[in-house]
Amino acid sequence: MSVVVVGYVPNPRGRAALEHAIAEAHRRDALLVVVNSSRGDALVDEEFLRGDQLRALHDELAASGLRTEVRQPVRGRDVAEELSAVCTETGAELLVIGLKRRSAVGKLLMGSAAQRILLDVECPVLGVKSPPREG
Amino acid sequence: MSTSTTEPTRKGFSGELVGAVLLAALGVYLLVDAGAIAIPGSSNTVGPRFFPYAVGGLTLATGALLALRVLRGDRGPADDGEDVDPDAPTDWRAVAVIVVAFVAHALLINVVGWPLAVALMFAAVATTLQGRMTPRAAVRPFLVGLTVGCVVWIVFVKALNVALPGGTVLEFLTSWF
Amino acid sequence: MGISDLLGGFADAITPVNLLFALLGVVLGTAVGVLPGIGPAMTVALLLPATYVLEPTSALIMFAGIYYGGMYGGSTTSILLNTPGESASIMTALEGNKMAKAGRGSAALATAAIGSFVAGTIATLLLALVAPALVQVAINVTTADYFALAVLAFVAVASVLGSSPLRGLASLCLGLYLGLVGTDVLTGQERFTLGIPQLSDGIDVVVVAVALFAVGESLYVASRLRKGSVQVIDHKGSWMTRNDLRRSWGPWLRGTAFGFPFGVMPAGGAEIPTFLSYATEKKLTKHPEEFGHGAIEGVAGPEAANNASAAGVLVPLLTLGIPTSATAAIILAAFQGYGIQPGPTLLTTEGPLVWALIASLFIGNAMLLVLNLPLVGLWVKLLRIPRPYLYAGILTFASLGSFAVNADPLDLVILMGLGLLGFAMRRFGWPVAPAVIGLILGPIAETNLRRALAISDGDLSVLVDSWFSRVVLLLALLALVGPVVLRAVRGRRATPEESAQQQEDREVQKAGNREGWGA
Repeated sequence: MSVVVVGYVPNPRGRAALEHAIAEAHRRDALLVVVNSSRGDALVDEEFLRGDQLRALHDELAASGLRTEVRQPVRGRDVAEELSAVCTETGAELLVIGLKRRSAVGKLLMGSAAQRILLDVECPVLGVKSPPREG
Repeated sequence: MSTSTTEPTRKGFSGELVGAVLLAALGVYLLVDAGAIAIPGSSNTVGPRFFPYAVGGLTLATGALLALRVLRGDRGPADDGEDVDPDAPTDWRAVAVIVVAFVAHALLINVVGWPLAVALMFAAVATTLQGRMTPRAAVRPFLVGLTVGCVVWIVFVKALNVALPGGTVLEFLTSWF
Repeated sequence: MGISDLLGGFADAITPVNLLFALLGVVLGTAVGVLPGIGPAMTVALLLPATYVLEPTSALIMFAGIYYGGMYGGSTTSILLNTPGESASIMTALEGNKMAKAGRGSAALATAAIGSFVAGTIATLLLALVAPALVQVAINVTTADYFALAVLAFVAVASVLGSSPLRGLASLCLGLYLGLVGTDVLTGQERFTLGIPQLSDGIDVVVVAVALFAVGESLYVASRLRKGSVQVIDHKGSWMTRNDLRRSWGPWLRGTAFGFPFGVMPAGGAEIPTFLSYATEKKLTKHPEEFGHGAIEGVAGPEAANNASAAGVLVPLLTLGIPTSATAAIILAAFQGYGIQPGPTLLTTEGPLVWALIASLFIGNAMLLVLNLPLVGLWVKLLRIPRPYLYAGILTFASLGSFAVNADPLDLVILMGLGLLGFAMRRFGWPVAPAVIGLILGPIAETNLRRALAISDGDLSVLVDSWFSRVVLLLALLALVGPVVLRAVRGRRATPEESAQQQEDREVQKAGNREGWGA
C-alpha cells in the first residue's frame, strides 16, 4: 500500500497542496495522510485546525473517495520535523507541501521550512505554489 | 483562580511544610534580631523594636499554625494560569536554568552592557522553554533577544533618558544620537 | 468644589502631549493585559519604568491609561478564548465564551466594552464626587484611626484574597517583613539589613512587585509549561442590536452599583462584586434558559462590576493613602516615587495633579471604547507570540524595570531571590497580593501606631479611644473570624446531596477549563 503525505494549513497555499495531493493519491491509489501540526508553544495558533475547519477538512477528504488519515501532532517540534517523521514512519512514496511566495529579503531573514524539508525527507517531494491571485 | 483545582487533601510530603517552617523560622529571626536594634535614648515610649516584635510574633504564629494544618493534610491549591499545565510534573531544570541565566545576566550588565547581557539571558530562557537545548536551536532566540534588547535600550536610553549601560559597541554606534 | 476642579483637571489632561501619554498608556496597558499570564497588577508593575523619567502629571496620566487598559485586555481574551483568565474575568468568560461560540462574539465584546465604559465613567464620576467629601472626614482621622484602618486592610486582604485566611496571613507576614528591612523612619536605626549597605534604603517596592508577580509567574509557568494552543473563536455577527441594548443597560447599572462600593471597601479585589453581579442577573433575567448558554446579561453585569470596582479602589488610595488591591499598592509606589504621599492632604497639596488624573481616567475610558472594538483582531494576534519568547520577554522587562531604579546589579539578584519566593508561593497556593500590600502598608501602619502611642505616652487604650477606630477594629475582627465561623456553620449544614452537587459543579468546571486545550 503506497502512501502520500501532505502538509496542510488552512490558507490558499495549504489548499493548493491538498488539491494536488488528492490528485496524486488518486493516481497512485494511495493512502492519503494529511498532517496539520502545531508546535503548541503559543496560546493561539491559527494554522492548527479545530472545530468547523477540521470538520470541513474531514468532509472534503470523505468526498474525495480516498482512504485518508488526518494527523495533528503537537509535540513542540516544527513542521519540517513532524513531516519528515511522518514520512519515515509511513514509508511514504511522495510528500506534497505548499510553498510560500517570498521576496529576496524574506529569504534572507527567515529560515525556510521548505528548504529544511527537502534536506531532511527521504522520499520525493512535490512543492506546490498557491494560485498567484490569492497570494 | 483558586477554587477550580482545589483538592483538599493530597497525600504525601508537601513542599509547603518547608515553606511554613521557614516562615516560622523567619518569625524567630525577627523576634531575636529585633532585640539587637539600637534604641536611641530619647525615645520614651515605643521605639523601633515594637513593630518588629509584633510582626515577628505574628509570623511565628502563622508559620506554626500553617505547618500544623499542612501536617494534618491541608494543601493549598497550586496557582492556575493560562500557560500553566496543572498536571505536568515540575520541570526543575527549566527553573534552574532561568535562575542561573538571570543571575549571570545581572553580573554581566556592567561588563558587556544591558542589551548583550539581556540577549544572552533571553536566549538561555527561550531555548530552555522551547524544550531543545542544542546550539542551533539557540540561534534564533539569541537574535530575537538581541533585537529586543537593542530596541528597548535605544527607546529607554535615547528617548526616555533612563540610565542603562549599553556596552561599548552600542554606545559607540549611537553616540551621534 | 468638585465640578470646577474636575474641569480644571480636564484642562490639564487635554493638552496634546498629555493626550498622547494617555493614548500610549491605554495601548500599552491593553496590549500587555491581553497577553496570557499577565494580570493588571503585573502590567502596571512592568510598565512602571516607562514612567520614571516623565514629569508626575504625564506619568500618572499614562498610568491611568495602563490601569484601565489592563482591565480591558483581560476581558477581551476571556470572551474570545476558551481559557480561565485572571480571576475578575471568570464571570465574564462564563457567558461571554458561550456567546462567542454561538456566533455572537461581537455582541459579547460590545456589551463588555460599552459596559466597561458606562461603569468606568459612572464610577469615576462617583470617585470625583466622593473623594472631596471623604477627605473632609479623613482630615479629622487620628493616627490611631489610621492604624485601625491599616489593620482592617491587612485582615481583609489576607482573608479575602486566596484560598485560606492562614495562607493570606502567611503572605502578609512576608510583606510586612520586607517592609521592615531598611532604616526606621522615626529614629534612623537600621533594621534587618544584614549589614548590607544597599539594604539600608529598604527594598524597593518596584523590585518586590516585579519579583513576586513577573519573575515568580515566569518561573512557575516554566516549571509547568503548557503545551498546545487554544481555539480563538471568531468574533462574528452584528455588534449590539436594539434588543441586546435593552437587555444590557440594567446589568451595566446594577454591576456598577455592586462594583464601586466593593472597590472602595478595604476588602480588595473585583472577584466578589463580579460574582454577585452574575448571580443577581441570573435571578432577575427574563431569559433564565439562556444562562449557561450565552446570556448577554451575564457578560454585561460582571464586566461593569469589574471596571467599577477598579475605579472604586482609587477612592481609599487617593483620600486615605490606603491601597486595597495589589494594583493600587503599585500605583501608591508610583506616587511615592515622585515624592507624593497620598492621604487626606493630597487633594489640597496636589489638587491639580489628582484632578488631572481623574480627568484622564475619563479620557482613557473613552479611548478604550473607541480603540478596542475595532482593534480586537490586532490584540488577538499578540497571542501568537510563542510562550518561550513571551516569558523571556517578561524577564527582560523585569530586568529593565528593577535595574533602572538604582542601576545596581544587586537589585537584580534580590529580584531573583524574591522571584523564587513568588514561585514557591504559587506552588503552595499562597496569594501574592497580600505581600505587596503588606510591604506598602506596613510602614504606614507602624508610623501611625508609634505616633499614636507617643502622643498617649505609651497608653495602649488610645488605639480604641475613638468610635471610628472601635468600629474599624471590630470590622477587622469580623473579617478575620467571620470566614472561619461561616465555614464551620456551612460545613455542619451541608447535606450529602449538597456536597455531591458541589463536587459535581467542580468537576464540570474543571472539564470546562480543560476543554479546548490541544493535545
